[in-house]
Amino acid sequence: MNSSRRTLLKILGLTGATLPWMSCERLISRVTRELGQSIPSHLSIPDGQQIDPAFHLLSRAAYGPWPGDLDRLRAMGTGNWIEEQLAPENIDDRACDLRARRFETIWHEPGTCYEYKKPVLREEITRHTLLRGVYSKRQLFEVMVGFWTDHLNINLEKGDCIYLKPADDRLVIRAHALGKFKDLIRASATSPAMLVYLDGKENKRATPADVPNENYARELLELHTLGVDGGYTQSDVFEAARSLTGWRLRTGWRKGTVYFDPTMHDDGEKHVLGQLIPAGGGAADLDRLIDIACGHPSTARHIATKLVRRFVSEDVPAALVTRVAEVFTATDGDIKALVRTILGSEEFKAARGLKFKRPFQYIVSSLRALGADTHAHQPLIEYLQRMGQGPFQYPTPDGYPDRAAPWLGTLLWRWNFAFALASNTVPTVTVTLDQLASAIGAIAATADGAVSGLRPDRLIPYFVGRAGSAVELKALGDYQAQRINQVADANYQAELISLILASPAFQRC
Amino acid sequence: MRDTSRRGFIRQLLLAHEPGVPAATERTLVCVFLRGAADTLNMVIPCGDDHYYKARPTLAIPAPVLRNENDLNGARLDDFYAFHPRLSPLLPAFKEGRLGIVQAVGTDNPTGSHFEAQDQMEHGEAYGRIIGGGWLGRYLRSYGTVELTPLSAVAIGSTIPESLRGAPTASAMESIDEVQIKTPLNDTTAVSSVLSALYGSEVGVVSQSGKTTLDLLKRVETLRGTLYKPEGGAIYPDESFAQGLKEVARLVKAAVGLKVACLDLGGWDTHFFQGGSSGLQADLIWQLARGLAAFDADLAGDRERVITLVMTEFGRRIYENGSLGTDHGRGFAMLALGASVNGGKVHGKWPGLSEEDAPGASSLNIAGPSGLKVLFDYRSVLSEVLTKSLGHRDVNQVFPNFSPEPVGLVG
Repeated sequence: MNSSRRTLLKILGLTGATLPWMSCERLISRVTRELGQSIPSHLSIPDGQQIDPAFHLLSRAAYGPWPGDLDRLRAMGTGNWIEEQLAPENIDDRACDLRARRFETIWHEPGTCYEYKKPVLREEITRHTLLRGVYSKRQLFEVMVGFWTDHLNINLEKGDCIYLKPADDRLVIRAHALGKFKDLIRASATSPAMLVYLDGKENKRATPADVPNENYARELLELHTLGVDGGYTQSDVFEAARSLTGWRLRTGWRKGTVYFDPTMHDDGEKHVLGQLIPAGGGAADLDRLIDIACGHPSTARHIATKLVRRFVSEDVPAALVTRVAEVFTATDGDIKALVRTILGSEEFKAARGLKFKRPFQYIVSSLRALGADTHAHQPLIEYLQRMGQGPFQYPTPDGYPDRAAPWLGTLLWRWNFAFALASNTVPTVTVTLDQLASAIGAIAATADGAVSGLRPDRLIPYFVGRAGSAVELKALGDYQAQRINQVADANYQAELISLILASPAFQRC
Repeated sequence: MRDTSRRGFIRQLLLAHEPGVPAATERTLVCVFLRGAADTLNMVIPCGDDHYYKARPTLAIPAPVLRNENDLNGARLDDFYAFHPRLSPLLPAFKEGRLGIVQAVGTDNPTGSHFEAQDQMEHGEAYGRIIGGGWLGRYLRSYGTVELTPLSAVAIGSTIPESLRGAPTASAMESIDEVQIKTPLNDTTAVSSVLSALYGSEVGVVSQSGKTTLDLLKRVETLRGTLYKPEGGAIYPDESFAQGLKEVARLVKAAVGLKVACLDLGGWDTHFFQGGSSGLQADLIWQLARGLAAFDADLAGDRERVITLVMTEFGRRIYENGSLGTDHGRGFAMLALGASVNGGKVHGKWPGLSEEDAPGASSLNIAGPSGLKVLFDYRSVLSEVLTKSLGHRDVNQVFPNFSPEPVGLVG
């Protein structure tokens, strides 16, 4: 099946013992360090007054730089880095695989998932997502997985979704995250998890007296394709719902798999968005509907707007949206082409530091910046949940908001996370600050070579991508002067770095 | 028993330090939003209309057989309406005149979209007429900023709702007790002053939120960790909605100047398997009713200065769909609880369930999904509450270019 998994098993076999998971995880942590998940001995830091362009790219097209990413990107060049990231299948991701592939339920078919308890399913898919975000070298791919997970949101806690979402994550979101938009939507339309989440499996019309269930049809037009101002009418919603009748989920044998029941399908003529779906189309009505919706000009605009909002800024630059929408139309919704257009634009380059990190990005970028070692156990996930962004926990189909305002009330929980993380008091997460501080040349020494604290002037640029401002340097300098003789070195180091992670500059990207 | 000495002590503390301190008569507006479009037709049941039973062969709540409130089918409110059986915890408040209902409230939003309709209502707008900020944000802005603290507007949960957008200050919390900085050294003075310098030196929303948070931390210090004892025999169920209301009651009694509290109860989008007297929606109604009943009992001594509104983004179709649920509709019933409420009755006339709302013809060729006809713009209800219950002088600041109609809910 997969070589990396076999490698892991081989390594485990070589130790000649069936190890309990905790020691297994310790072993994985060791092996992944050997595979490059470590802190290099020297790291260069940005020195400009404005955020470094390479740092900016890593803050948006990735979940922030891992130690060494900045040097690597600068060495290979922006264009090459983007192209590398747009071909994730060619990126060796074995180190991440060792941490993230071992959860069984993310590989199972829905039917098999029914054999697991809900807490196991919830934990595995959540840990998988978090570990991929932190450790994958296919960072842009993970960012896009996050984007489409929001766009085609499914809440684990509704109905049977928890049994079905692992397959949706693998076969819909991850399979098409950088593919063709229409393939993504087509796959989602008959994904068991989506058929449950938006009640598509209950949408049936055996006789004209039956009333279709409009739920999925409405969200398909409103959220997934045209957008709420996309020009569809309530009649279009009704006609789309008719086109989608008859898709069902098996409940007994092969539980959780999809089939089309022609007796539950309304096979009459439909008129959707000014186009005719002729009578007698049967199961093919769905394909026809997806073609019509995905090919509509409003869809190009809607998807362009959302992508630009994600990558560039909350106030979307209109000219860029227009260009991206044109690329959408010209390439039949080629997602790679859309992302390439955005990342290469002047608007993208100009939008440095304008976005407010959402909690997932805040936590993941903190872990990455510190080169943390974690297997994403519950204590870490709880921080994310308290900030209101637990993976797959958003209740409604619009997905977690991509604007700053709803998240502004989370600062206290971010600060508390920063203090816990840097002081190694988030259970099951380990950071090694002295190694990092030494790599960025932030350990201050007196003339005779004795260590005399840390250098905020080198730490700040490492974390926020630009030189520290006068206010930042003074605030941290004052702190240092007050604290340095008061508490033990390790505590003081941790607190100083926490304060940078808690600062306004690190909330933005 | 009320711990009057503690409240008095806290009030004195605040009086000693702060200008514009809330008087004991300070009024609080509690907004409960039922997210997902609640089917209020199955909450306040029009059992006097046969059409309701025809349109909902499996979902309709049976009419009370006996004219008494112990009827299992639902509790009779008057000759026409009955409560869903799971709303019965609120029956005493209704009978005693503190709980009022307005029928057929809604917006002019034609999209049938949860998110558009919620945004429009929370922003306090007419469809397509963007004002800027949320209606509660504008309401709070009408106070001088010296009067406002991070405890003036509290959202229970992790995020701040759209209705509070643009508020001079607002906090999100699940409970007062969790509001504290935790550092390994257990000494937060040094770090607080650094955070204060970092956030204080900037302008913009992030810095504003940082300053609010630091201020909040200071203000909850005296409240945190005190044991809260509900009064009036109130028992808050161990559910997040009810526990959130308990935190609101705690803030109300502490007299810290709470002007607005927002709570959400989600999960009302019942397209499938909605249930009737029991089931999916009944469970949600039960959470709502038990939470509010406990809140009402706990605040027995403060009912004059607290008003609670329960709203949703739109109602649902009159007829049920083919999967034992209801699709998106229009008008809904709004609930209001408090001593200032003209309670014990259902305000507004029954718009009837028109024949046009049959599934075939209905959904076509009209602006927006069909459903219960809207007779009151939601802003008329909110305006009346602001003016008559909360003593707001110029409601035009909150809902510009809108002329509210009298509803009769308050005053």
